[in-house]
Amino acid sequence: MKAQRHELSPLSVIWLLVERDLRTLVKSPWILINRTVFFVIQLFVFAVLVNKLVASTIPGFNYFDFYSVGAVVSTITSIAFIIGADLFEEEEMGLLDYLLSLPFGHSLFVFGRALGGAVRGLIYTAPMMLLVAFIDGYWSPAGILGSYVVLFVLATGISGLSITLAMVIRSENRFDVVIAMAELATVRVSAAIYPLYYIPQALQPIAAYSPVTSASDLIRWAILGNASGVGNLVILVLFVAIFFGLGSAFLFKRLEGGRFE
Amino acid sequence: MIEFKDVWKRFKGTDAVRGITCTIEDQEIFGLLGPNGAGKSTLIMTMSTVYRATSGEILVDGHSVNTEPGKVKELIGISFQDPKYDRILTAREILQWHAKVTGVEKGVREKRIDDVLTKFGLTFEARKRTWMLSGGTKKKIENAKIFVQRPKVAVFDEPTAYLDVPSRLLVWDMIDELRDEGSTVLLATNMMDEADRMSDRVGIVSKGEMVQVGTPDALKGTLKGRDIIEMTLEKPIPELPAEMKKIEDIQDAHFEGDTLVLLLSNGRELLPHVINIATAKGAKVQSVNLKQPSLEDVFLHYTGMKLA
Ligand SMILES: Nc1ncnc2c1ncn2[C@@H]1O[C@H](COP(=O)(O)OP(=O)(O)O)[C@@H](O)[C@H]1O
Ligand SMILES: [Mg+2]
Repeated sequence: MKAQRHELSPLSVIWLLVERDLRTLVKSPWILINRTVFFVIQLFVFAVLVNKLVASTIPGFNYFDFYSVGAVVSTITSIAFIIGADLFEEEEMGLLDYLLSLPFGHSLFVFGRALGGAVRGLIYTAPMMLLVAFIDGYWSPAGILGSYVVLFVLATGISGLSITLAMVIRSENRFDVVIAMAELATVRVSAAIYPLYYIPQALQPIAAYSPVTSASDLIRWAILGNASGVGNLVILVLFVAIFFGLGSAFLFKRLEGGRFE
Repeated sequence: MIEFKDVWKRFKGTDAVRGITCTIEDQEIFGLLGPNGAGKSTLIMTMSTVYRATSGEILVDGHSVNTEPGKVKELIGISFQDPKYDRILTAREILQWHAKVTGVEKGVREKRIDDVLTKFGLTFEARKRTWMLSGGTKKKIENAKIFVQRPKVAVFDEPTAYLDVPSRLLVWDMIDELRDEGSTVLLATNMMDEADRMSDRVGIVSKGEMVQVGTPDALKGTLKGRDIIEMTLEKPIPELPAEMKKIEDIQDAHFEGDTLVLLLSNGRELLPHVINIATAKGAKVQSVNLKQPSLEDVFLHYTGMKLA
């Protein structure tokens, strides 16, 4: 008779989904190298230059330190946004049909994918973060570990947001536009690469509650010792919870009407 | 047991499945036979929880696809019509991941993968990324997922498309083996010989409906007492079919190219008479063939269309 089938725990399912994203990442290392080179150039050419300009106008403000943290956060944000595009590609290849036929529920699928996207993002940015902490001269293991946790949580939320958008929009062209705008809104309208009080008045309330702002400030707090903690943590966690929930809720739409456009 | 109860699936503008009702018994190999676009794949996807039925109900071992999709997913394994896996991964990686995620015991995983790869002669190919493999090899890997998983309910959507003859025979044997071990098999195909060779029962699907269900022999029996005469002429004579239909025992007559095809009772006795009529009309008869109805003729009869 049939061989014994063994039950998978939710944790093993999540791990298997993450493993899948990792296997594909390992097969395309040049993307990783590309991102890192771009980051290093941005840091040592752009940031060093602007730091000199800023230093002459705002005495005592170390823009290089400020920017370097924001640059890591912006990078992981844009990497985390990619997961939605992955879903379109999977839809096109029919892979989504396969994944949805496997023995796990939709919420677990969305959560696993969001975590997969986050782990992927963290692998890209972990060396960058280390480099930043090192050259900023703040070298504490707890600080670095803390900043990894913050990056990871942020990337989970952004991945959830990206999955939600992919499920709701269902047309690849429209998705590309919306994602570009979402990325612009979360990264540019935030305190990632310029301080909050230099953002146009009208956008300041939005920027203040951007998860990218929260993540940047939390990391600055963890490794640089400035900015503040608790409020930002709350915003970040809420953000993850909301978009994980929405992502799973909207996945059912996929089952109603067949394929994406 | 799988029960389809008045299942409908509507996409924007098309009714792909139109009120299918049927029951598949445990350890049965059930063939869904129908031309491209008949709705076979849609029915399969709906049964597999990938699509939601527009109306109707499907029960797999008593579990509703609508209300307990999780239970259903644990029972089934699908070899999709178009191979569905990461093209960047190797066949071995794909099979390993599939085995893990479908809960194949750790102790037997690698052995099963090795066995299936060896049977398919893919031990070497299994190290390459799958996007560089041929269509036939990709299809074998898609089937291999299910032979490694060995699910309670195994679904194969056109499992031997793109395969050469030895590989087709191999896949058929492997499906038989799976059933002998206790699996229920749902097999969609547009190939007569496959449906005839594999199925305990065949459901003929046409334009989203299941027009006839039965064992291949029973289906052929519905045309009982009927013979088929195929008479190849030098060139077709347009008025000949009408002439033939005047004979009471001849139910149908039509040309397929240069061949006059007659569906009739008592073919043996009528054969000389039929040849005489053709010759009298000036036909040069090149060959004559008297045969029993095949599943293909049954299909033709119930759907009014040819498969290929
Ligand atoms: N996802 C889909 N969206 C819209 N129409 C579809 C979809 N899948 C199948 N169809 C349509 O449904 C009908 C049945 O298709 P299908 O189930 O693939 O048939 P078969 O597998 O028998 O060849 C076809 O007319 C096809 O174009
Ligand atoms: Mg099909």
